[in-house]
Amino acid sequence: MRPVRTALLVLGSCCLLAAVVGPVRALGEASRVELRAVAVADFEEPRPTARRRLAWEVRQRTSIDTRLQPGRSRLDDPAVFESPLLYWAGDRAFPPLSNGELVGLRRFIDFGGMLLVDDAAPDDDGFDRSIRRALRRALGAGSLRPIPRDHTLYRSFYLLDRPVGRVQGPPHLEGVERGGRMAVVYSRHDLGGAWARDNLGTWQHAVVPGGERQRELAIRLGVNLVMYALCLDYKDDQVHAPFIMRRRGGSP
Amino acid sequence: MDPEVVDTLGPLRFAVPGGSLTAGVLAVVFAALVLWEHRRLRAVRWTVLRGGTAALAFLLTAQPRWSAQRLERVQGRVAVLVDASRSMAIEHPSRAQHVQHLLERWDGEAEGVPLWRFGSELQTVPWGPDASRPRDDESRLAAALEELARGGEAEGLGAVVVVSDGAANDLDGPIDVGELRVHAVRVGREDLRDDSLVEVHADRVAFLRQPAKVRVVVRSWGGGGIDVPVTLREDNEVVTEARVQVPDGGEGVVELPFTPRRLGRAVYHVSIPRADDDAVPANNERAFLVRVGRDRLRVLLVAGAPSWDVRFLRAFLKQDPSIDLISFFILRTGSDMPMAEPEELALIPFPTDELFREHLGSFDVVIFQNFDYGPYQMAGYLPRIRDYVKRGGAFAMVGGDRSFGSGGYASTPLEEVLPVELPSASTPAARLVLTDRFRPRPVAELARHPLLALANDPAASVARWASLPPLDGANVVRRARPGATTLMVHPRRRGGRSLPLLVLGTAGQGRVLALMSDSSWRWGFTAGGLTGDASAFERFWDRALRWLARDPNLEPARVTTDRERYGPEARVELRALLRDASYRPYAAEPVRFVLVDAVGEELAAADVVTDAEGRAQAVLRGPAQEGAYRAAVHRGDTRLCEEHFLVERGGQELADPRSQPDRLRRLAESTGGRYVDAPEDAPSLDAFDASVTRRRSLDEVAPFAHPAFVAFAALVFSLEWWLRRRAGLR
Repeated sequence: MRPVRTALLVLGSCCLLAAVVGPVRALGEASRVELRAVAVADFEEPRPTARRRLAWEVRQRTSIDTRLQPGRSRLDDPAVFESPLLYWAGDRAFPPLSNGELVGLRRFIDFGGMLLVDDAAPDDDGFDRSIRRALRRALGAGSLRPIPRDHTLYRSFYLLDRPVGRVQGPPHLEGVERGGRMAVVYSRHDLGGAWARDNLGTWQHAVVPGGERQRELAIRLGVNLVMYALCLDYKDDQVHAPFIMRRRGGSP
Repeated sequence: MDPEVVDTLGPLRFAVPGGSLTAGVLAVVFAALVLWEHRRLRAVRWTVLRGGTAALAFLLTAQPRWSAQRLERVQGRVAVLVDASRSMAIEHPSRAQHVQHLLERWDGEAEGVPLWRFGSELQTVPWGPDASRPRDDESRLAAALEELARGGEAEGLGAVVVVSDGAANDLDGPIDVGELRVHAVRVGREDLRDDSLVEVHADRVAFLRQPAKVRVVVRSWGGGGIDVPVTLREDNEVVTEARVQVPDGGEGVVELPFTPRRLGRAVYHVSIPRADDDAVPANNERAFLVRVGRDRLRVLLVAGAPSWDVRFLRAFLKQDPSIDLISFFILRTGSDMPMAEPEELALIPFPTDELFREHLGSFDVVIFQNFDYGPYQMAGYLPRIRDYVKRGGAFAMVGGDRSFGSGGYASTPLEEVLPVELPSASTPAARLVLTDRFRPRPVAELARHPLLALANDPAASVARWASLPPLDGANVVRRARPGATTLMVHPRRRGGRSLPLLVLGTAGQGRVLALMSDSSWRWGFTAGGLTGDASAFERFWDRALRWLARDPNLEPARVTTDRERYGPEARVELRALLRDASYRPYAAEPVRFVLVDAVGEELAAADVVTDAEGRAQAVLRGPAQEGAYRAAVHRGDTRLCEEHFLVERGGQELADPRSQPDRLRRLAESTGGRYVDAPEDAPSLDAFDASVTRRRSLDEVAPFAHPAFVAFAALVFSLEWWLRRRAGLR
C-alpha cells in the first residue's frame, strides 16, 4: 500500500497546483455530463432528488463536470440522445413500452448509450417484471446477465467489493453487454434511495442494514457507474499500461 | 490471277418472333392437327390433303429463310514481327543475332513488307541492323498480335511471321487475332543449362521488428539437379541463408525469414551461386522492396477529465485493431474530495516522465483532449512535445475548458507548433470560450479535403455537415496561423473574421490538428439516434488520425509506378494524382515526371500538363543499371510526391528464358499458320501463306414470303375447303 499512498501524495500535490491555477468553466451547460432520467407514462420519479445529489457528489469527488439540474425524457423523445447516460428508476409495474419507445431504447444502446436501471422497490417485483419485459423486447431475450465481481465498474474510481444501495440487495448487479461494454446496468438495491437528500441536506431514506457506511458505499457505486459510463474499460488499460510500455521500446 | 470464289449457304433461321423455338411449337401444333384429322376420318387421301395444307401453313407462319454468301480467297500482305525482349539477348551467338541474320536474308525480298518489334509494346521499326535490338523488359506477344489484328495496319494484312523464342509472358491465355494467320519462327535453345530464381515473393509492407518472410522459387535445367544455398542480403550483409534442393528440370521452394530493423524503405537481395556453365547468370539474383512501417498506429490520448467526447474518441480508437492506444485520463483534480482513503481509490499517478520523456518518440500521434498541463508539473515537457512534432511527430489538441487558451498554452512552446494563435495569457477566462450551441460551417471550397469529405461530392459533403446535430461551445482562438488550413469555422464572427473551429497545420516535419470543440461526439451518438446514421464521427476521426499519421493513401499528391521491379531500360509507366495541401487539384498545370537515382541525379524526365482533376501520366525509359530508384513529380521547384522502384539485372523477363517451341507451335496451328523450328530453316517471305478469305456478297433467301407462294398457299387452302364441303365433311 505504501507505494500507492506515496503516488497519490504526488498526485495530490499536483492537484493542489491545479487549484492555484484557478477554476475552469465548461464550454456551456450542455457540454457537462448529465444523468438524464427516463420518463415512462405519467409516473413520477420515485427518488426525485437522487440524480441531482449523485451529480453533485460526482462533481465534488472527481474531475467530471456534471450538470446539477439533469433533465428527463421519454424514450421516444429525440432529447433522449442529448445524453449518452440514462437513469431509469421505478418502484412499480409500468405498462409495456410503445414501439417508438422500444426503437428509441434500441437506438440509444446501439449507438453507444448506457442505461442505468434502479429498482427503487426491490421487495416488490412489479418494476422488476416490467423492466425485464421492456429490456427483453428492446434488446432480445437472455441479454440481462449477472455482472461479474471483477468487472471494471467495481474499480473505475473506487475499489468496491459488491453493490449496495438503500438496501443491501443481491450480491451482484445485472447487465447487458454490447460490443464489449456494459450497455445496461440493472441494480435491485434502490441506489437512488441511498443518494436522495432534500434541499435542507437531510438524507431522505434510512439505509439498511449498514447505515451511513452503506450509504457512502452506495454513493461510491454511483460515482463508479458514472465514471464507467465515461471511461468504459479505461482501468483495464491502466493495469496493462506498464507491460505495454515495456514491451514497446523503440524510438521515432 | 483471279481470286478463288466459293459459294456457301448460311444457317437456316425463322423470321417468326421467338425464332426456332416458336417454329418448333408451330410444327408440333400442325402435326397434331394432321394426326387428329387422320384418327377422325381414317382416310389416307384426307390425311394427305390436310398434311399438305398444314405444311403450307407452317411455312407461311414460321417463314424459314437462310443466307447465301459468296466468298473469295485473295492474297494478302505479309508482315514480320520480331521479339525485342531481353530474353533474346542470351546464348552465344545471341538469339537476337540469329534474328538479325534472318532479317538480313529477308531484307532483299522485303519490299513493302512492314517490320514490327514487340516487347512491352508494339512498335514499327525500319529494316536494318537495329531492328532486333533486345532491351524490352516484357514479352507481350499475344498483346502485340491482338493490337496488330485490331489496328489500321491490319488492312490487307494476311499473315504475320513472328520471330521469337516464345518465352512470352502472355502466351498461355486465349488470343484473338481474327482472320490473321500467324506463322512462327522459333529462335533459341530449350536445353539451356541454367539455374534461376523464378519467383521472389514478399509482402510489400512489413512491420518494424516483426518477423516477415520471403518465398523463393528456384528452378534448374540441364545441371542434373542442384543443392545450393539461397542467401538473403540487406545492404550487402547476409540476413539469412537456407539450402534448397532442386531436381533437374524442376523447382525448389524455400522461405527465408527476416525482421526489418529500420522504418522506411528497405531493399533486399536474394541470390544463389552461379555455376560456371550457367547460361544466364543474371537470373541468379533478384531484389525486392519492402515498405517498413509500424505494425500498428501508436496513439497517446491524454484527457484532462472524463467527458462524452473523451469517451467516444477513446472507444473509437480502442475498437480499431490497427491502433495501439495508450490513454491517460485525469480522474481527480486537487479540488476534488473523494471522501476515501487512498487505498480505497483505484487511482494511479500520472506517469508524465515515462510518457513525455522516455516514450514520447515511440508514439505516432499524441492527442491532448481537454487537457491542461499546469497542474501536473508538465511545463518542462512542453519543449519536448514541440520538438517531437518538429521532428515528424503528430499532435492534436481537442477543445474543452482545459484546452487552448483555457489550458494556459498561450506563449508556451506548444503554442509554437499549434496551427492557431491563442489569445494572450492575460485574457479573462470568460473570453476564452463560447458557450452557446452552434452548427459549424465547413469551408466549402475545401470540401474535397478528406477530413471534410463525408460524401464523394463536395456539395453533398457540405450538405451532410449542415444536417448533423449542433455542437456545444467552443474554444476561442485569435486566428489560424499563416500557412495553416482552416477547414471549419464557428458561425460567430469576431473582429470581422470567422472564428476557426478546425485547423490543420505543419510544424517542422510534423503535422498538427486543432479542434476547438469538445462535442464532436454528437456527430456520432446524437446523429445516430436522430437519423440512424452515426458514421460522421468515426469517418471524421479516422481521416483525422490517418492525416496526422501521414497515411500514404491520404496524401494529397501521389505518384504510382506500374510495377515495383523492372529490368534495365524498361518502360516505366507513371500515374499521378496531384493536389495541394488543401486537396485542391492542380488543374491544367505543367508538371515534370523524373526518375532519379539514390544520389538524386535525374536519369529521365517528361513534362506534361495535368487534367482538371489534377491527374497526369507519363512513360519513361527506366535506368540501365540495377539498383533502387525513385520516380518523382515536380511542380516548378517543388517536389510534390515520389515513389520507389527497383531495377534488377535479371528480373521476371529472365526468370524462365528457355525457348518455348510448344507455345509457338500452338499459336501457329491455331491460326492456320506454319511453324518453323529454327531461323535457318525459315523459307523466303513469299513462301508464307498470306491469303485471306473475304466475303464478296451476302443475300438473304426468303422464298416463303414471296407473293406467288402466298397465292399458291391460298389456292390450296381454298381447294381443300371446297373438296371437304363437297364430300360433306366439316
